[in-house]
Amino acid sequence: MKKRKQVNYSKEHKRYLKNLKIDKFTTILAQVLLLVVLIGLWELLTAVGVLDAFFLSSPSRMMVQLVDLFQNGSLFYHIGITLYETVIGFLVATILGTLIAIILWWSRKLRKILDPYIVVLNALPKIALGPVIIIWVGAGTMAIITMCILICVVITTLSMLSAFLSCDEDKISLMRSMGASKFQILTKLVIPNALGEFVSVLKINVGMSWVGTIMGEYLVSKAGLGYLIVYGGQVFQLDLVMASTLVLCILACIMYLFVGILEKRVGKHKE
Amino acid sequence: MEDYLQLKHISLSYHTKEGEVLALSDIDFSVQKNEFVSIVGPSGCGKTTILSLIAGLLKPTSGEVLLDGEKITKDTSIGYMFQRDNLFPWRTIYKNVTIGLEIKKKKKDKESLERVDELLKKYGLYDFKNSYPNQMSGGMRQRAALIRTLCLKPKILLLDEPFSALDYQTKLSVCDDVHSIITKENQTAILVTHDISEAISMSNRIIVLSKRPATVKCIQTIELGDIQTPLKRRESPKFSKYFDLIWKELSNEKEETS
Repeated sequence: MKKRKQVNYSKEHKRYLKNLKIDKFTTILAQVLLLVVLIGLWELLTAVGVLDAFFLSSPSRMMVQLVDLFQNGSLFYHIGITLYETVIGFLVATILGTLIAIILWWSRKLRKILDPYIVVLNALPKIALGPVIIIWVGAGTMAIITMCILICVVITTLSMLSAFLSCDEDKISLMRSMGASKFQILTKLVIPNALGEFVSVLKINVGMSWVGTIMGEYLVSKAGLGYLIVYGGQVFQLDLVMASTLVLCILACIMYLFVGILEKRVGKHKE
Repeated sequence: MEDYLQLKHISLSYHTKEGEVLALSDIDFSVQKNEFVSIVGPSGCGKTTILSLIAGLLKPTSGEVLLDGEKITKDTSIGYMFQRDNLFPWRTIYKNVTIGLEIKKKKKDKESLERVDELLKKYGLYDFKNSYPNQMSGGMRQRAALIRTLCLKPKILLLDEPFSALDYQTKLSVCDDVHSIITKENQTAILVTHDISEAISMSNRIIVLSKRPATVKCIQTIELGDIQTPLKRRESPKFSKYFDLIWKELSNEKEETS
């Protein structure tokens, strides 16, 4: 049984807890300081002219750019488009990849037959398929989402399949000895058992889906953060490039936090 | 008394690329109702394979297994306990214990649910029914695993070294626990173990297997008088006599091989 929180700690234990707190505090402090110093230096060096703000932009210019984008209403428009593409790509790839993994788990024969194809697909740089995608689904949002799905789906399939296959043989025998059907083994044992791995896959996919979407937007787009970055680069507006990149960082962080919350819920009861 | 479980001239061979391996050769024994039988033998001789055959997880190459006069099918109710408790960490104890009922689609069967509550209460797990396995001791977990199999009213209990993952102290007390539960519930049980003392302390009969391909080397009836707990049986003067007997059977086996 878990021990209840004790109230009367010994001096040593109090000191231990205090040290823990100090350790955590100094870490966070250093993290914040590092960021402040970096931004400060950046701003300072570009302001005095040691670094050229034209090539490097600067924090203040990025802010001006963001406020500008916000005021003419295009900031949330571009965020909305990229976010839409990423979330759709992320969801479709995760669900599709998991479904394929379930099918491959189910049929050993199919798994064996498809094994070399999956390996090749995994090794293939998906960006190479860019032109093909554009021709097949058209130069639009669909092409970007397809790129995003392609990048996430293979790794999802592989990770989930290996999670399904790593299920303990004894537990499967136990289910069989109780007369469980293959479907019951899947739903009551194999899938719940792979939930931890599923969260890891979500974490990977958060990163991958952003890669997919931005790459897609580099190829074809009329709007979105990737579009802003490419456009900014073409017209040598580094402020726009940097500001868009900053927004991307923040969005990816938020998505990651969501997965983090999910992980805490799932990871409660491990062996 | 009539034979409850019968293994009739069972042989089993494994097929691998390298060839065919005869694992069991003409295994023939029977178990009476409410009897507790142990199977001991050199490691790797196929003890677990015999349990898998009885559970219907494997099919014999030749021979047949009859339980209560019938062939084993998917619907035959068999209780199987493993070395590890195999409780599902994401389920509460109650949900772990009732997984068999879920599988048999008896989750709403009042009689079965009453039996679950009764078993949990009787064996001191009722207060922990909403706990998760990782919050419980090894002994409690193993008891939960046993109740999980008993919920389905198994015709026979198969125990595959269920105590070997526990430390010595816990093992002795869990042995007592499990033995008393099995006797109280009038279960027929087969225990596979490499621990001779464990086998003697728990069983009515011990089947000694030879090395691979396994055959029944001898069957030793254990008579230690009245019903006693395994721990007390270990103190009986006859205990060491039986130990020597079986020890010799097993070491003969080793000498013949070397």
